Amino acid sequence: MSQPDSYTNSDTYSESQVILTSVRIIAPFTLTYGMFLSLHGADTPGGSFQGGAIIGVTVLMLAFAFGIDPTRKWVKSSFIAGLITGGVTIFIATGLFTMALGGNFLEYDAIADTFGIAHYWGMEAIEVGGVALIVAGAVMTLFFATAAGFTPERHGNDTDSARSGSGPEVGRDD
Amino acid sequence: MIETAVAYTLAIFILLAAVATALFRDVLSAIVVFGAYSLGMAILYTFLLAPDVAMTEAAIGAGVTTILLLLTIARTTRPSTDRLFERINVPAVIVVGAFVLVLGTLLPDMYAVGTESAPIWGEQGVLTETPSLYYIENTFSDTGAQNAVSAVLASYRGFDTFGEAVVVFAAAIAVLLVLKREVFT
Repeated sequence: MSQPDSYTNSDTYSESQVILTSVRIIAPFTLTYGMFLSLHGADTPGGSFQGGAIIGVTVLMLAFAFGIDPTRKWVKSSFIAGLITGGVTIFIATGLFTMALGGNFLEYDAIADTFGIAHYWGMEAIEVGGVALIVAGAVMTLFFATAAGFTPERHGNDTDSARSGSGPEVGRDD
Repeated sequence: MIETAVAYTLAIFILLAAVATALFRDVLSAIVVFGAYSLGMAILYTFLLAPDVAMTEAAIGAGVTTILLLLTIARTTRPSTDRLFERINVPAVIVVGAFVLVLGTLLPDMYAVGTESAPIWGEQGVLTETPSLYYIENTFSDTGAQNAVSAVLASYRGFDTFGEAVVVFAAAIAVLLVLKREVFT
C-alpha cells in the first residue's frame, strides 16, 4: 500500500506509532473483508451495503492515521464522485437494460432469456456495481466533507485559508 | 441457557449505555458511550440471528457515525462546568417514562422470538403460507442466491433497493450542498 508522502508534516493528525502500525496492519484485511462481503453477499451473511461501508471505513481509518489532508489528496475528490455517480449509473443502466430486453425494471430473467446469463449475475451487477460503490462513495464523501478545513484549524496552519475562503467557515474563530 | 444469560446481560448493558448517552454532560463522553451502545446492539443482533443487520450496525452505527460525530464536535467548545451529568429535565423524564411504561405493558403480548405459537407457524408447528415461507422455499430456485436476505433486497425488491441507493446518493449530495462545498478542501 502506498502511503501518502507528506504524513510526517504538520498536517498529520496522529503521529502515534501504535495507531500508525495497527492501521498499517489492519487496513489490508478490512479492505479484503469489505470486498469479500460485497462480492460474496449473495451466498453468505452480509452484502454489498455492509461491504461498501467497510471499504469506505478503511479509507477513513487511513485518514485518521496518516492525516486527513494527505489522504484526501491521495484519494482525489473526482475518484469519490466517480464512485458514487458511477454506482447510480450502473444501477440505472442494469434496470434500463432489462427493460430494453422486454422485461420490467430489474427483471433479470430477461437477461437470462436473451443471453443465457443466470439471474444470479444480474443481482451481483446491482449489488457490486451499484450499491457497494454508492455506499463506499457516500461514506467517504460524508467524511471528507465534514472533515474539510479540519486540520488547518486544529493546528493553526494558515496555508489553507486562501483555498477555504470560497465557502463559509463553520468552525470556531479562535 | 448461557446464550440467554449473555443476551440479557447485553440488553442491560445497552440500556445503561443508552441512559448514559442521554445523561453525560460532556459530548465526547456521550459519543464514546453511544459507540458502545451501537456495538452492544450489533452483538445482540447476532444473538437474534440477524448477522446482516449486525454488520450494518457495527460498520455504520459504531464506526462511521462515531467518526462523523467526533469530527463535528472537534469544531465546538467544551462546556465550562465540571459537572459530570446533565441536569435532569423532570417533565421530559415523566413523558418518556410514561411512554416506556405503555410499551412495557404491551411487551408481554408479543410473541417470543422463534416460538411455534407465532402467527407464521400453523396448527401443529407446520409452516403456513406466508411471504417469509415463500422466500425461504423458493429463493434458491428463483435466483440462485443462498442468502435469502440478499435475494429479497437485490431481486424480489430490486426497485425498493434502487430507491434506497438513490436516497444514499442524494444524502451525500445534500451534505455537500449544505456545507457549500463542491470540492473537499
